[in-house]
Amino acid sequence: MMRLALGTLRRHRGAYLGSFLAAFLAVALLAGAGLLLFSVLTAKPPADRFAAAAAVVSGDREVTLTTTKKKKKNKVKSKTKSERLTGAGTLPADLAGRIAAVPGVVDAVADYAFPVVFPVRGEDDAPVVGHGWASAALTPYTLREGRPPAAGEMVIDADLAARGGLSVGDQVQITTRTGVRSVRVSGVAAPDGRDGLAAQGALFLADRQVPAVSGLDGPTAIAVLAEPATDLAALRAVAGDAPVFTGADKVRGDLPGALPDYIGPISIFGFTIGITAFAAVFVLTGTVALGVRQRLRDLALLRTAGATPGQLRRLLGLESVVLAAVAAVPAMPVGVVVAGLVAARFRALGAVPAQFTVAFNVPVLICAAVAGVLVTFVAARIAGRRAVRIAPTQALTETATAPRGGMLVRVVAALVTAGGAVAVLIFVPLGGPLGMGMSFVSSALLLCAVAALGPVLARGLTAVVGRVAALGGVTGWLAGTVARAESRRVAAVAVPLVLMFAINATMLLNSSLLGELTGDEHAARSAPATAQVTGPGGLPLSVAGDLAALPGVTGAAATLPTRAIVAQGGKPEDYPSQGLFTAGREAAIDLDVRDGQLGGEGTFAASAYLVEQHGWRVGDEVPIWLADGYQVTLRLAAVYQRARGFGEMALPADLVAAHDPRGLVAAVALRYDGDVAAGIHQRWPALRVTPAVAAARAGDAQNQQGAWELMVVISLGFAAIAVVNTFAIAASSRRREYADLRLAGATAGQVHRMATREAAITVTVGLVLGAAVTAVVVGAFSTAQDGIFRLIVDPVTYGGMLAGIAALGMAAGALPIRAVLRRRDLPAVADDH
Amino acid sequence: MTETVVEVIDVTKSYAGGAGVRALDGVSVGFATGTFCAVMGPSGSGKSTLLHCAAGLDRPDSGRVLLAGQEISRLREPKLTEARRRRVGFVFQSYNLMDSLSVWHNVLLPQRLAGVRPDRDWAREVMRRVGLAGRENDRPGQLSGGQRQRVALARALAGRPEVIFADEPTGALDISAGREVLALLRDAVDGFGDLGSRSGERSGTAVIMVTHDPAAAAWADRVVFLADGRIVTELADPTAEKVAAQMTAVSAR
Repeated sequence: MMRLALGTLRRHRGAYLGSFLAAFLAVALLAGAGLLLFSVLTAKPPADRFAAAAAVVSGDREVTLTTTKKKKKNKVKSKTKSERLTGAGTLPADLAGRIAAVPGVVDAVADYAFPVVFPVRGEDDAPVVGHGWASAALTPYTLREGRPPAAGEMVIDADLAARGGLSVGDQVQITTRTGVRSVRVSGVAAPDGRDGLAAQGALFLADRQVPAVSGLDGPTAIAVLAEPATDLAALRAVAGDAPVFTGADKVRGDLPGALPDYIGPISIFGFTIGITAFAAVFVLTGTVALGVRQRLRDLALLRTAGATPGQLRRLLGLESVVLAAVAAVPAMPVGVVVAGLVAARFRALGAVPAQFTVAFNVPVLICAAVAGVLVTFVAARIAGRRAVRIAPTQALTETATAPRGGMLVRVVAALVTAGGAVAVLIFVPLGGPLGMGMSFVSSALLLCAVAALGPVLARGLTAVVGRVAALGGVTGWLAGTVARAESRRVAAVAVPLVLMFAINATMLLNSSLLGELTGDEHAARSAPATAQVTGPGGLPLSVAGDLAALPGVTGAAATLPTRAIVAQGGKPEDYPSQGLFTAGREAAIDLDVRDGQLGGEGTFAASAYLVEQHGWRVGDEVPIWLADGYQVTLRLAAVYQRARGFGEMALPADLVAAHDPRGLVAAVALRYDGDVAAGIHQRWPALRVTPAVAAARAGDAQNQQGAWELMVVISLGFAAIAVVNTFAIAASSRRREYADLRLAGATAGQVHRMATREAAITVTVGLVLGAAVTAVVVGAFSTAQDGIFRLIVDPVTYGGMLAGIAALGMAAGALPIRAVLRRRDLPAVADDH
Repeated sequence: MTETVVEVIDVTKSYAGGAGVRALDGVSVGFATGTFCAVMGPSGSGKSTLLHCAAGLDRPDSGRVLLAGQEISRLREPKLTEARRRRVGFVFQSYNLMDSLSVWHNVLLPQRLAGVRPDRDWAREVMRRVGLAGRENDRPGQLSGGQRQRVALARALAGRPEVIFADEPTGALDISAGREVLALLRDAVDGFGDLGSRSGERSGTAVIMVTHDPAAAAWADRVVFLADGRIVTELADPTAEKVAAQMTAVSAR
């Protein structure tokens, strides 16, 4: 059996090239995505800020909710769900003293960590974190020059000093949520053997000044210096609810912004693996099926020689395993390269932290290879399920045909997948954060339905398109008739085109629709404002208050981007939100409030989407966790519509400023008459006054951007392989048909024209089906966004995709035939026997 | 007096590879209008090559081929195809029908490709004569081998060719199906009793048939024997026995 499998593979090299390429691509992508996933899952925090400490007592870093449900038989089921905070919770200020009193503890050092806007950022755009000088010993940072900071002074790390060209004695302006200060550099410090820590620049202020500058009411962490045999249980008892970390976990006590966040990338790379597997099964089934069709006569001959369908099935399976195993060998190193390229792109997009590197791991590569082999095997099983039952007598006929039938399976598969797609489109609120992902899922399901019903759909469409083609003379007629008769072949070639068009069109159109809507909403939101005031890295809330109080200003609205958590069904859910400060008698921001009224002590506003999700009503008291885990209960005062690019909640600005460690205003919208701008320039030279600023990108924008790019590239790669390959197989297996045509009196030119027209029919069928899938998904998505049904969304993108895919399809259809049949050739009478 | 429809003059043809074997070595032969000529010879004698060169399916290395007075040996594609489809019909062992077209469309295909309005009445008449009236909408795949070969013959005849080239037309058929096809070829030469002609004149086409079967050759008016790329002898008014005896003699050389 093995020898036979190897023999057929060698003999039908051409037919298997496509499957080989697809298997190669599948393994390479699975290996790449697998390595990336492995790397993000095992990524070590870049540096241990608390290396010198034995243990770290940390403030809250996540919100955890526990729900208990009583079930039958007195069983109680409790579920615990948590959501990470974007800020850091604080500890009681006196806790350090109590910890220091625990036996064996040498010292307890409080760390007040807070983000600072500094003229330069750290290595790879790392944020700059401020601390008190006492906590420098925890890493430890030691002075290279200068002296420890006194009031109004600071020590910066050597890396920041080099980047900013700063030296002892320089005055530097720093911004925190409490204001802008000019601070003198009193010294330069560095950890052992390095200029600074990876992923965070450090700045140390005099300890006395820290609470005032940071706005913190307590330390974000307390590092414990202890003798080796210290009793951790006693420490935990003193710490109470606050978690105590030791070993590698100590970094979890660091400021969240200084720690890499891999939640987004983990889901992206996991998703990538899923999509790759889907596309691979999809494309491999098609190419393997075509390869099997080419060899029907062979299979029939084997049946005559006494092979049972089971043996043929094993033969096909073995062939596919050998093929995929051979493809996996070069694919694994390519996977490593792919992982590197994707990581580079994601770093550039900011979807992974700058210091992220790809870990090399052999077991992951082997798993990818095994998965690729399995997928190819499954594809071969699907493709060969009916072919192996070919009747032995088919070997004796001129053109072997696979047993027909299997229609029921196809119809059932199509109904199930199409039903799933419709269910997703109807029941999932596409207007929400899941919209993009779910529209992808529904288009993938619809694609499966199209693939299952491919021959039937192709037959119907070729009947129509073929008739149109027949108007173009005898070659058009011939192309139409042949295409109609060979609808399976048309379907095999058209389905990859459908895949390519539908996946990419839905993703691109939906995201461009979202971008457009976000831009529109942002413009509408800021329409009332005369100008937007922004500062480098943001401005303190107090400045926004001063701006609002300028003479001539009739209205002001300051926004502080943050994230806030609300509970939904016992699960804390994190939403992009804004701290909103409004002043003046005229509104400077128009959120399109549908219900209630903005403003008022202890109130917040929420988007219509969020209100609908949670079933809130104006006047409801809602518990909300702010960025540092501080829980506050606010009354819902207003429901607004224009949430895109803004956030789902508008919270009191002072609350956000106090509880988001960054807590800076991103932009102040001002409404004024007269020459207010000149006054602002004079008083705050660093601020910019512009008529409008671009919409803030939604929180996960860079992650999504990376994910979509990755998906578009993957599906384009697979589909291009599938298209070229299926066309090439279809064209080369038709040598004989072309020879017959030549004998019947067709010139080579006529055969070329026929083939070109056939390709045109096939491409048209593919694009029509692709456009249909796209129309359903984009139409539903668009309707869910703002009630307007759109099909094309972006004519340039749409037209470009149509033209690009048509060009690829036409080239793939016409070129292989040109290679088979040259214009000056005589008819080949060498009848293949 | 009959005129010559295909004239092969001093044609040489070698194939690359196989140490440059000469398939045809200075062959000259003429085929008259309205006659049925069989070409015989042992395997590798060059009979198929002769047929291909005479039909314009292959280009001789030297020498000339006249098809109805037109020199075709130096024509280039697509002129060659145009000349061929105007004057020639083919019936090959492997039928060479388009599987994706119906029988009727197969029959009309050469005329459509030539861009002329198909003579549907004549095509229907031809279908009737080959005994396939009523099967027009079937696919070739649904027919038996003998029926398929009759479709191929109907296709060749539908274009009113001056000459039909047949390469082992009965090679894949059983004896009775083969006999039917040969009888139809014979009828075509004899002008179907002149029923199909537009004018009163004799309309029979010439048939040039390569075969290795003496019984098939016996249907011809004349048999040409080839060996080693040369014409060695020919036989008029053949019978199966005479042909078989001659073949044995030729093969023994």
